[in-house]
Amino acid sequence: MLGFIIQRLLQASVVMAVMSVIVFVGVYAIGNPIEIVIPPDAPQDIRAETIRRFGLDLPLWQQYFIFLSNLVQGDFGRSFIYNMPVLDLIAGRLPATLELVMISILTATVGGVSLGVYAGYRPDSWLSRLIMALSVLGFSVPSFWVGLILILTFAVNLGWLPAGSRGEVVTVFGVGWSFLTLNGLSHILLPALNLAFFKLAMMIRLARAGTREVMLTDTIKFARAAGISEGRILRRHVLKLIAIPIITVFGLELGSTLAFAVVTETIFSWPGVGKLIIDSITVLDRPVMVAYLILTALLFVLINLTVDLVYAVIDPRMRARGA
Amino acid sequence: MTTRRILASAAIALGVALSAGLASAPLASAQTLTVGVRGGPESLDPHFSALGSHAEAAKHIYDTLVWSGDDLQIEPGLATSWKPLDDTTWEFKLREGVKFHDGSDFDAEDVKFSIERIPLVSGPTTTTIYVRRVATVEIVDPHTIHIKTDGPAATLPYDFVRLFIVSSDAAKDYSTPETAAAGFNGGPAAVGTGPYKLVSWEPKGDLVLERFDGYWRGKGPWAKVIRKEMPNDSSRLAALKAGQVDLINYVSSIDYLALQRDPSIDAVVGDSVYIMNLQLDQRVDTPLVRAKDGSKLDKNPLRNPKVREAIDLAIDRQSMVDIVLEGLGKPANQMMPPGFFGSSDAIPAREYDPEQARKLLAEAGYSDGFEIDLYCTSDRLPGDGAICQGLGQMFTQVGIKTNVNAVSKTVYFPAQARLEYSVFMNGWGTLTGEASYTLGALAHSNDPDVKLGAFNRIEYKNETVDQLLEDGAKTLEAEPRRKLYEQAMVETMADRAYIPVVQLQTVWGSKANSVTFQPRFDEDTLAFFIKPKS
Repeated sequence: MLGFIIQRLLQASVVMAVMSVIVFVGVYAIGNPIEIVIPPDAPQDIRAETIRRFGLDLPLWQQYFIFLSNLVQGDFGRSFIYNMPVLDLIAGRLPATLELVMISILTATVGGVSLGVYAGYRPDSWLSRLIMALSVLGFSVPSFWVGLILILTFAVNLGWLPAGSRGEVVTVFGVGWSFLTLNGLSHILLPALNLAFFKLAMMIRLARAGTREVMLTDTIKFARAAGISEGRILRRHVLKLIAIPIITVFGLELGSTLAFAVVTETIFSWPGVGKLIIDSITVLDRPVMVAYLILTALLFVLINLTVDLVYAVIDPRMRARGA
Repeated sequence: MTTRRILASAAIALGVALSAGLASAPLASAQTLTVGVRGGPESLDPHFSALGSHAEAAKHIYDTLVWSGDDLQIEPGLATSWKPLDDTTWEFKLREGVKFHDGSDFDAEDVKFSIERIPLVSGPTTTTIYVRRVATVEIVDPHTIHIKTDGPAATLPYDFVRLFIVSSDAAKDYSTPETAAAGFNGGPAAVGTGPYKLVSWEPKGDLVLERFDGYWRGKGPWAKVIRKEMPNDSSRLAALKAGQVDLINYVSSIDYLALQRDPSIDAVVGDSVYIMNLQLDQRVDTPLVRAKDGSKLDKNPLRNPKVREAIDLAIDRQSMVDIVLEGLGKPANQMMPPGFFGSSDAIPAREYDPEQARKLLAEAGYSDGFEIDLYCTSDRLPGDGAICQGLGQMFTQVGIKTNVNAVSKTVYFPAQARLEYSVFMNGWGTLTGEASYTLGALAHSNDPDVKLGAFNRIEYKNETVDQLLEDGAKTLEAEPRRKLYEQAMVETMADRAYIPVVQLQTVWGSKANSVTFQPRFDEDTLAFFIKPKS
């Protein structure tokens, strides 16, 4: 098992190195960031001096080498735009994204699996049909639109909830969290719902498909024959048997939502990392882009690793194979 | 950026739906002003960035030596008067009795410190442009300074409109690139003489301010000001509709139409300093112009004055304003708005005459027309991409087949700097309200020796204009200098290598009958000058 983990981490470092090269070359190909941010009345000497000050006159390989040698010392560099260490910038906004994503993913998973199992267990009831119709809607309606409609309904027309931005935060362990205050919760509700919508639909469909399949297997027949109650069968057996694909999807979705909750964050003016990366791209803030994508690669590798480990816990066959 | 386009169309849907309108909530509290802004500062160190939204936020906490008024003409700020003593010396008299937020007195030491601090901490949107002409700063007495320049610097007071003064005591230990952000963003160094004191700020988040009762202009109308950064146009409007903010800037032209039918929101329209400026490459060999069959032309047609005139005549500016910008603009006839220092009244309004344009093209030997690739920004200013498409259609109508490329500014500006475009358009704002800013950067030939023409990306060169601009830069007296710049503007416009298209307008939205303010040319939203409507 240890060898497996080490192998995965080695793979991760390769992915991260490749990522940094791609971002470096890509940004270099677009052009010099200074051209976008320099004031229009800057004369030639000031332009040249500014480019030199940020090391952008050096050849690409040299810029990359400087970046790498700093990175080895744990320094991701400073943002061109904010003049702050990149890691501070990202860390400062991570809690906002983290709480938003966690709440929405948990809502989606708990809600989606419950509804999906029900829809799979009683496929012909009208409630199941309603659930499935809703899930089709969740899949096919774009999330920015849902976001705008949520704002329109609950913030503008009904005036129950705020239209965007983060609420009051309380500091716990030196980090500010907003889901611990009532005001913060009222702010987080709409964006979390918006973010959860698509995932909820996906979880419903996964759980339903799994349940329908499992219900026909011998396991369930024998369990029924043994006189185990239906509720217990669903909780103890069906859930466990459909868990593998759900966990896989949960992991992948967690990663992609953490890294790219951009649309929701934009519409709800949520100060998270998704907004940060988009803003950085529009001004070619390369240190932030590179650091962010490297960390995202790391995040995905870690999530996949965790998912693999969870498989082993849930499914004894995997344990035997992996050992 | 498909998301962007989708969002834009969603904004239409939202706008239409919103216009149904609902009773508006009263101001959150008469003592607090909450503003939803499109962009905010990049740091609270005022010397870090020359970006417009950065300076806008900084003006709440700090003061500038010279103030630029609502119409961008210069007025006394922390300096009460200024005059040139000789060719290379300017004397500034400083305002007496001004206090910093920490209670200490403002004096010449702070000015000298601030000027000398800029080169040490400036970011890529470099603030060194404000002090580029300064050689040394001499303190004569606590309220008089002499500034020695590196040559005759006629526009020095204009350079100082964004020279923010920080406290030399509070910022002393925070004046290197590594320490500046920590000192200013965290608070201890963010001490100014401005109308508001810093409470808290996070990048891309809220800037929270509290009134400074000892402000020299008098007490501000709001005890507390919160500036929320909301870059998405629809979200900002939704927040206003939901009563989360009292005022927003940059209402989009589509939403503006809907707002006019909505009694719960007041819209204020102000002229913008930005003018859409079409630029025609004057190089002998230009990359993106060709015959209609794709073959190379033997000459660059854009060098022919008749072709340039034809392009100018092909533009229907009034339709551009009425249809493309939904009325939020004005036809432009020169590169600066009227009334600016160096704008000329002698320039007539531009005409629209497609017949004449076709005739001129034929006279120039292009009766079959030719083909161009037109490049513009699509995400920098309101309507830039749409204006670009409008231009493309108008040119095609007179026989110049035009391929429209409205691209992100991230792509546009670096490529423009590499001289890869032949015909291109972007907005240009004369942020100092004064012609040397615009003509000096664009109309003078690119000449590092005299430090002029740094943004001239079309190799435009007119010896007369060059001479006028060089003379202007050395003429310290205002009136003779104004004449020189007016003449340079007339000459440049007559050449039509730069063709102004439209002047933009911007819209603010506020809750009905809540606040009143005078829109500023530079589009700044300054809480001190916003008054509650009682």
